Amino acid sequence: MLFGRTIKNPIKISDKGALEWKYATCGYCSTGCSIEVGLNKEGVAVASRGVADANVNQGKLCLKGIFEHELFDSSGRGLRPKMREQWHQPWENSDWDSALDKVHDEIVRIQKKHGPDSFAIISTGQMLTEEFYTLGKLTRGLIGTNNYDGNTTLCMASAVSGYKRSFCSDGPPGCYDDFEHTDCLIAWGSNLPEQHPIIYWRMKEAQEKRGFPLIVVDPRVTMLAQNAHMHLPITPGTDVVLMNAMMHVILAEGLQDQRYIDANTTGFEALQAEVEKYDPTTAAKICGIDEDRIRVVARLFANAGAAMQIWTMGINQSTHGSDGVVGINNLALLSGNIGKPGGTSLSITGQCNAMGTREWSSCSGLPNYRYLENPQDRQEVAKAWNVDPEFFPKKRGMFQTDIYHAMESGQIKGLWLIATNPLSSLPNSSRVRKAMQGLEFCAVQDCYEDTESAQYAHVYLPAGTWAEKEGVMTNTERRINLVNPISTCPGEARPDLWIFNRMAERFNLDKKVSFPEKAADIFLEMGALSKGRLADISGMTHALIEKNRGIQWPYTDAQLQAGEVPPAGGKRLYTEDGSFRYANGKAKLIPLPFIDNNEVPDEKFPIWLNTGRLIEHWHGRTKTGKIGNNNKYSPIPFIEINPDLAAELGVQAGEYVRMVSRRSDAVAMAQLTQRVPKNMVFLPFHFHDCANRLTLGLLDPHSRQPAYKQSAIRIERIEDQQAAARLSMEMRTF
Amino acid sequence: MFPVRENEPDYALLNDTDSQQQNRYGKNIETRPPGDPLRDSSLNINDDAAIGENPNRYKQHGFYFNADNCIACHACEAACSEKNDNPAHIAFRSVGFVEGGTYPDYQRLNISMACNHCDDPVCLKGCPTRAYTKFAEYGAVLQDPDICFGCGYCTWVCPYNAPQLDPVKGQVSKCNMCVDRLEVGLKPACVSACLGKALDFGVIENIPSGRDQAKTEIPGFPRTDITHPNIRFQQTRTTQRDMQRVDSSTIKYHRDDKEPVFHPELDPKHGYKRQWNLAKLLGSHENAHIVFTLSAQAVMGAFALLLLANWSGLAAATALKNSAAYMPLLFTLFILMGFGLFKLNMHLGKPHRFYRGFYNLRWSPVSREIAGVSAFFAGLSGFVFFSLFSGGFAEVLQTLFALLGLAGMCLGGYYMYKLYRIPARPYWDHWHTAATFIGSGLALGSLLLALAALAGGVLTAEASRLLAISAAWGVLLEGAGLLAHSHDLKNSKSEAAASFYEQSTRYGKSYWLRNVLLLINLALLVTISMAGSAASWLFIVLFFSMSASAILGRALFYVLVIPTTMPGAFFWKNKGFVEHARETGLADMPQLGVAYEHHHAFKLNELLDTVRNTSLSEKLAQLKRIFSG
Repeated sequence: MLFGRTIKNPIKISDKGALEWKYATCGYCSTGCSIEVGLNKEGVAVASRGVADANVNQGKLCLKGIFEHELFDSSGRGLRPKMREQWHQPWENSDWDSALDKVHDEIVRIQKKHGPDSFAIISTGQMLTEEFYTLGKLTRGLIGTNNYDGNTTLCMASAVSGYKRSFCSDGPPGCYDDFEHTDCLIAWGSNLPEQHPIIYWRMKEAQEKRGFPLIVVDPRVTMLAQNAHMHLPITPGTDVVLMNAMMHVILAEGLQDQRYIDANTTGFEALQAEVEKYDPTTAAKICGIDEDRIRVVARLFANAGAAMQIWTMGINQSTHGSDGVVGINNLALLSGNIGKPGGTSLSITGQCNAMGTREWSSCSGLPNYRYLENPQDRQEVAKAWNVDPEFFPKKRGMFQTDIYHAMESGQIKGLWLIATNPLSSLPNSSRVRKAMQGLEFCAVQDCYEDTESAQYAHVYLPAGTWAEKEGVMTNTERRINLVNPISTCPGEARPDLWIFNRMAERFNLDKKVSFPEKAADIFLEMGALSKGRLADISGMTHALIEKNRGIQWPYTDAQLQAGEVPPAGGKRLYTEDGSFRYANGKAKLIPLPFIDNNEVPDEKFPIWLNTGRLIEHWHGRTKTGKIGNNNKYSPIPFIEINPDLAAELGVQAGEYVRMVSRRSDAVAMAQLTQRVPKNMVFLPFHFHDCANRLTLGLLDPHSRQPAYKQSAIRIERIEDQQAAARLSMEMRTF
Repeated sequence: MFPVRENEPDYALLNDTDSQQQNRYGKNIETRPPGDPLRDSSLNINDDAAIGENPNRYKQHGFYFNADNCIACHACEAACSEKNDNPAHIAFRSVGFVEGGTYPDYQRLNISMACNHCDDPVCLKGCPTRAYTKFAEYGAVLQDPDICFGCGYCTWVCPYNAPQLDPVKGQVSKCNMCVDRLEVGLKPACVSACLGKALDFGVIENIPSGRDQAKTEIPGFPRTDITHPNIRFQQTRTTQRDMQRVDSSTIKYHRDDKEPVFHPELDPKHGYKRQWNLAKLLGSHENAHIVFTLSAQAVMGAFALLLLANWSGLAAATALKNSAAYMPLLFTLFILMGFGLFKLNMHLGKPHRFYRGFYNLRWSPVSREIAGVSAFFAGLSGFVFFSLFSGGFAEVLQTLFALLGLAGMCLGGYYMYKLYRIPARPYWDHWHTAATFIGSGLALGSLLLALAALAGGVLTAEASRLLAISAAWGVLLEGAGLLAHSHDLKNSKSEAAASFYEQSTRYGKSYWLRNVLLLINLALLVTISMAGSAASWLFIVLFFSMSASAILGRALFYVLVIPTTMPGAFFWKNKGFVEHARETGLADMPQLGVAYEHHHAFKLNELLDTVRNTSLSEKLAQLKRIFSG
C-alpha cells in the first residue's frame, strides 16, 4: 500500500459462489442475447452473464439481462391455482384438476350457448415457441375458436402486415451483420440505445469501424437522435409523407436501381404516379422536415452502396403502421437494398419471442406462415395434426384489438388470457375495463398473480416464467435460440406447456391428436412441418441450437445432411433475383396515399401525447418493477415536458401534473427537458393506470395495431401535490 | 483467483503495453519501484494467498470515460451492482447527466462515475477509523466496511460521491476497482459491460485505441485540484453554453470560453419564494451534529470562562463557587457534554465501534477532534469529580484535570472547526465556521454561567455585565462571520452560490428569523450590560432566544451545505426525489432504491466480543498504529 495502513488487511469482494453456468436466451426483448445463469452450490440462481462466444451479444447484456436471475423469486409470483364464482369475490385456493376442468367446462358451455367464436384466446410474445405451437394446435385443432390472437398485435402486427404486403411473406430479411456492411443507416421511430441496447452496441461497433452516416427520424431527441449525423424531428404520424417525398426525389432524379426494380418488383408505375404528388415542398409542410433535408437524405440513401433501414414502434404503432412498413420496403426495393449485405429493411422486433409467435402460434393462420385462407395449407396441417380440415375456419378471425371491441359489445363472452396484461397494455383503459367486467368467464394464466388483468378473472392458473421452462425463441434476425430450464416453477406453478397439454387432454378425449410432453420432441414435429417452407428449421435440434448459440432460419435438413454447418450469423432472405414469395417471385411496390386520420392537438387538447419505452423497464413492469436494480431508475410514472410549456402552466420540476385526454386523465411527475418540443410530452407506457388511460389507439386498417403514439391531451397543474402523490402511489402496487 | 473463461472477449481484457513515467500531476505512475518491499505480495482477496500475474500490477490505473459516447444505458451500474451484490439503494457507480439547448438543438451529456482512486485520497485522510488504504497494487483506494463505524465523513469530503453510506447497514462501502478481475488480466465489470463504447480502463494517462483525448474536464465533473483523481475523459463535441442538471440541485454548469472549462453556477430552479421549511430544517439526520457541536461549544465556553473567572479571582466567581448553584452547574456541564457525545456516538452506523474514532490521528481531523473532545470530557469529569472534595490534594488534582480539559478543548475545538473546512463543501469551507463555533461557545457559555448564578442568587451587577459583554462578543463574532459569509457566498462561482440561493429561498424565512433572533440577543445583552442587575432577569428571556437562534443557526449550517457532487438523474441520485420518496412513503417499496435513514443499536455483545477476542499484544499493536499509521 502507498499509505493508509502499515498492516495490509485482506480484501473482501463479494463472491456469490456460482459453480455451474446454465445456458438460456434472454427473455426480455427480441435481440435474442445468449445468457448464462450461475447457480451456487445449493442450485440457486445467483448471477447472470452474457455468453462470450454467442454471435448476437458476444458476452454483453443490458441491465435487464444482468439481473434476470432475480426474476425467479420476485414478488407476486402465483403459487397455486385459484378460483372464484364472480370476479368481485375473494380468491379461493384451488387445485390444478378443478381449475383446468372449470376452464374446459366454461369454454365448452360458452361455445355451445353462443357459438364457437364467442370464446376468445389471447396469448403473447413472451412464451416459448413450442408452447405457442401447442396452444395453436389446441385452439385451432380442438377448441376451434377463430378469435385467437396474441399481444403481438400491439407491437409487431404492422411489421408483419407490411412485410406480407410487400414480399408476400413475414420474416425480417436482414440481420445484425448488416451493420458491418452498410453505407447508410436510417432509423425510423427506433430508439436503439434504449429499446435494444445490444443491437445498438453492434451498430456502434460497426459505425466506429466504418463511420457510415446515421439518420434518425424521431419526434423526440433521443440519445440515438442526438448522436446521429442527421436528426429529422418529424411531426407525429406523418412518416409516410416523408417516405413518399424521398421516393419522389429518388425517382425525379433517376437515382433508383432500375435493374433491380425490373427484375424484382411489380407495381412501379402506380407507385411512381402516387409519389409524383409528394414533391418535397408540399411534403415539408405536412411532415415538418424541410425540403432541403428531405432531398439530402433521399440522395444519401439512394446513392449509398448498401443502405439499411431499421424501425420499431415509431412506425408500427400508428394508423399508418402497415403503410409505413410498406413505405420502408418501397424505399429499399427502389434502391435495390434487400437481401444484400448492408442493404435491408430490418424490423427491430419487440418481445423476446414475438417472432416465434408469428411463425408458429397459428394466431393469424396456421403454423409456419400458413394461411387459413389457403385450402392446401389447411389440408397439410390437418393431416399433420390428425384433425378434420373442415374444422379450421376459412379466414382468420379477429385481432386482439377487435376482440376487445367485441367483448365490449357482448359478442365475446369468455376469455382465456395467457401471459399478457391488457388492462395495462391496451389503449383507452376505461373501455378495456368495461369489456373485461362484462365477461361471463375469464381465465388468466400468468406467472404473476398480481397481474392487473387478474382483477377480472374467475380462474387463475399459475405459470412458470422464462427459464423455468424449456424451449426455443426466435429473435429479430430470425435466430432460433434455446432456453434451458434453469430453475423450477415456484409452488404449484407449472410451465405453460404443461398447462396446455393438461388442457388439451380435456378436449382430446379420444387421443386423436398427439401432444408431445417434451419441448425437444415438439420442436422436431415443427421441423417436419417446416420442410420446404420459407422458415425451414428442419435441420435444427435443441442440442445443435445451443451448440451454435442460436441458428438463423432457414437451416434445412438437406443442409444438415450435406454437412453444411450453420453460419454464425449473416444469413439473409431474398438474396437472389426473383426470390420473393409472391407467385411470380417479385415483390410489390405499393402506392401509399396519405390520409391524416390521427387525433391531432387542437384548442381544447393542445399537446401531443407521445408514449414509449424506457431501457430499465419491460412492458407492463410486472417483471422489472420488482427488481430494484432495474426499477430504481424510473420507479414512478413521469413525463418529459418542455420547460417553456411547464413555465406557462406554472409547473416546476418534480411536481405532479394531471393530463387529460378525450378518454380520461392520468397523473405523472414532470421532468422538464428540451428533449421534447413545446407542444408534446413523452410519457413512458410501462406504468399501470397511466398512459393508456389517455391513449386513443386508432387502429391501423391492415394490421389492427393501435396508434399509441399520437393522441392529444391537455395538461393541468395540480394544487394539492400531496394528494397527487398519494393518488399516483395508490394506482399501482409495485 | 477470479475465474476466467477460456473465451473472454477482447473488450474485457486489459491491454496496456506501454505507459508513461509520470502522470499529469507529476506523480510516478509506477507506484513502487522494483525491489520495493511493498511489491510482489498477495492482495489476499477472500483469503486467497495467490499473487496476480498482471504485468502492470504496480502501476496506477484509472477509468477512462468517453462522454461523447455514453448513452445512459445503466449497464455499467448494473454490472457493478450485480458483481458486488449491492441492494438497490447502494451503487458504487452511477450515471447522471447534464443537458442543455432548445428543442431540437438539445444535448444531453451522460456521466458514468465511480471511484477515481485519487492520488490524494481525501477519503483516506478523513476517515477516523483508517478503513481506507491506497494499495501499491494498481493504486487502488479500497475501503474495508468491517473497519468502518459509519460516521460518513468520507462521503462529506469526497467530491465525486464515491463512498456510499448505507443507512440500512450503517457502514460505508465503495468501488473496489474490481481488483480481483485486474489480478487475472480482466477489465472491471462495469467497463466490460459498457454498451456505448464509453467506459474503459487501464494504466493512467494511456489513451485507449480509437480515442484522442485524456482530459480531466467535462461539464458536471467537479474540480480536480482537491484530490488529483485518476480518471480521464474524452469529450469532443461542442456543448451548449449552459448545461443543466435534472436533479433537484440548484446548480448548472456554464462554459467559460477563455479557458474551455465549465464553472458551476446557480440555477434558480424553484423560483425566489421565501419559505420556512422548518420541518425539513429541524428533522434532518444531522440533528446529532447540531446537539453535539452546540453542547460541546456551550460547555467548553462555560468551562473556560469559569476557570478564567476562578483563576483571576473575581469576587463573582467566588460567590458562584460558594453558592448552592455551583455543583448543579458543574453537573449540568458534565451531563450536557455527555449527552452531546452520546448523541454523536449514537448517530454512527456502528456506535459500538466508537473506540475506532481515534485510529487515524495521523491524518484525520475527525480523529483529532474526537481525541481532543474526549480529553476535554475527561478533564471536565475529573474537575467535577474532585469538586466534590475539599483539601489541597483534591485541589491539585482538580487543577490538573482543568488543564487537561483546557488542552483537550484547544485541540478538540480546533479540529471541530477544521474538519468542516472541506474543499468539496464550499459553504462550510469559510472562516465563518470558526467565528460561529467560537461565537456560540462564548455566547452560550456565558449564558450558562449567568443562569447558574441567577439560580444561586449570586448574579451580581458586575457578573451580569461581564457575562453579558462576553456573550455579546460571541454574538458579534458570529454575526460578523455570517455577514462576511453571505457576502462571499453571493459572489462565489461554486456550489456556494447555490447554498446562498437556498438560504434566501427555501429556508429564507427561517434564515431571517435566526438573524432577527441574533439581533434581539445582541440588544438584550447590551441592555443587560448597561442596566446591570436590574435587567438580569433578561437572561431568562435570553435562554429562549439564544437557544432558538443557536439551534436554528446550526440546523441551517448543516442543511444548507451543497457539496460538489456528480450530477444525478431525474429519479436516481436525485436528492429531491429521495426526500419525496421518504416523505410520501414511496420508499416503503424496497425496489424503489430509496432507504430510510436509520438509527443503529449499540451492540454491546459485539463490543465485548472484540475486547475478548483481541489479544493484549494486538491491542498494544493497534495502539501503536494509531501513531505509526
